[in-house]
Amino acid sequence: MNSLADLTIVEAGKKLQAGEITAVDLARACLANIELRNKELNVYLEVFGDVIAQAESADKRRAAGENHPLLGIPLAIKDNILIEGRVASAASKMLEHYVATYDATVIKKLKEAGAVFVGRTNMDEFAMGSSTENSAFGATKNPLDPTRVPGGSSGGSAAAVAAGMCLGALGTDTGGSIREPASFCGLVGLKTTYGRVSRFGLIAMGSSLDQAGPLAKTVEDAQIIYEAIHGQDPLDSTSIPGDLYPARTPVKKIGVPRALLKEGVDPDVLLQFEASLQKLKAKGYELVDIELPSPSLALAVYYVVMPAEVSANLARFDGVRYGLSLKGDTLFDDYAKSRGEGFGQETRRRIMLGTYVLSSGYYDAYYGRALAARDVLTKAYVEALKSVDAIATPTAPLPAIKIGEKQDPLSMYLLDIFTVTANITGNPAVSVPMGTVERDGKQLPVGFQLTAAHGDEAGLLALARQVE
Amino acid sequence: MISLDEIQNLARLARLKISPQEEESLQKDISSILDYVGQVSSVPMPDKKEDAGPLHNVMREDAPRADGTLAGKEEALIEAFPKSEGGYNVVRKIIQKDE
Repeated sequence: MNSLADLTIVEAGKKLQAGEITAVDLARACLANIELRNKELNVYLEVFGDVIAQAESADKRRAAGENHPLLGIPLAIKDNILIEGRVASAASKMLEHYVATYDATVIKKLKEAGAVFVGRTNMDEFAMGSSTENSAFGATKNPLDPTRVPGGSSGGSAAAVAAGMCLGALGTDTGGSIREPASFCGLVGLKTTYGRVSRFGLIAMGSSLDQAGPLAKTVEDAQIIYEAIHGQDPLDSTSIPGDLYPARTPVKKIGVPRALLKEGVDPDVLLQFEASLQKLKAKGYELVDIELPSPSLALAVYYVVMPAEVSANLARFDGVRYGLSLKGDTLFDDYAKSRGEGFGQETRRRIMLGTYVLSSGYYDAYYGRALAARDVLTKAYVEALKSVDAIATPTAPLPAIKIGEKQDPLSMYLLDIFTVTANITGNPAVSVPMGTVERDGKQLPVGFQLTAAHGDEAGLLALARQVE
Repeated sequence: MISLDEIQNLARLARLKISPQEEESLQKDISSILDYVGQVSSVPMPDKKEDAGPLHNVMREDAPRADGTLAGKEEALIEAFPKSEGGYNVVRKIIQKDE
């Protein structure tokens, strides 16, 4: 790997400011790694043609006296985040040729900071999946072991950082789609408090769950991207003011829901998890056993609420105004054909499931109950986080799985067992590398997840640095 | 187990053309997912009087604003139409004469 692309954002920023390197040097280093491995790994769906020009413009801004930690830093952008004038396909045939007509708020903010956009990264179609195998344009491979998945749905963004094809990346997280790939690729991934980051210009999946956020090599790097993109946005009425939640004073206590870790977690993952807990203990943190509702309840709530929102959000893709448009015999056939062929199998499955749980005969039994359970879960988390700074679990029950290993949808969904809760309850959560486990002679990274109180990104990230 | 009729009806409601083979696999997959998510019914329904909690409506002035609008982007939007004519979106004729 080229050494410049190995730098953290912080290191690169210092070298840029000292005049030791230029943004063009950084961009070239990333492009060299792309040249070397993008074909094999299928990380970027498109590498932008103007990367060097963007870097030159960042260098000019620096020469003119500007200095932002992201000025001239090459970032990868998930393919469901709109950049004006560029294709945003959500890795779907439905939007294969769709050109964004405006910038997402997070993109606008990153442009102001002077970041360089390297390209758009592969993902599970419409962010539905945990392995990036559901992309209409082929699976992404894990750079650390190309026989394995990089996680998903932000798998391309995670692989891009891990393979030195950018210095940091934006992903989106609806049920773990930033944190689980961070775990599988040995990175830091942050899902913020619901509303902390504007969703304006994200291709919507589950609107009560979605948040955009960073994937980076270190907590400090993730924090730099987070600080650049967060903030209330008049264009997203669910975004929140900075002072909505009261500031907290750390009590140096970590809650561990031990009863929930007894089943379904790989023993090697648990060993690394314990080691990280002991590390925190050695640093003066008290570990407290806490009781929480079963994560399988959260997963059940998630697989009602999310498909319901998916079926509503994806109703807009009808082939009439933009996107894939196929003709049948009747107007109904136009819709059904465009949607049947434009959406991939997993997307169709979730639309069907969402249509079912929202249909009049079943609405109360599934959607109504799921909302009630969501409330119970949220209250349990608010209560638990009154006495501890954060709740610790593994990010995923397993290290990266083999490509094609999980064919049954439900077994794939179980990879999200520890991540979905933070989306259901709206809490911020981060995945931090906690060492590796050996599989087939390869060292595979696994992630340590911390979930903090609503609005407490500051406490969460400070704690995450202690785990690193 | 959800019936094949129900699957076909859902596909109609969702405006999805689905092959007979997929109908069968969906019947199996959706049934097993529904079995799993059925555990949400173990949670008691709250008292109806309970409100939406900390959620509240966010309103804004019904006035035009400069940021985030599509003003000046008309051409790009028209460009995205599957078929356009003179700046209009050409869609299927849906009212037909009775024979």
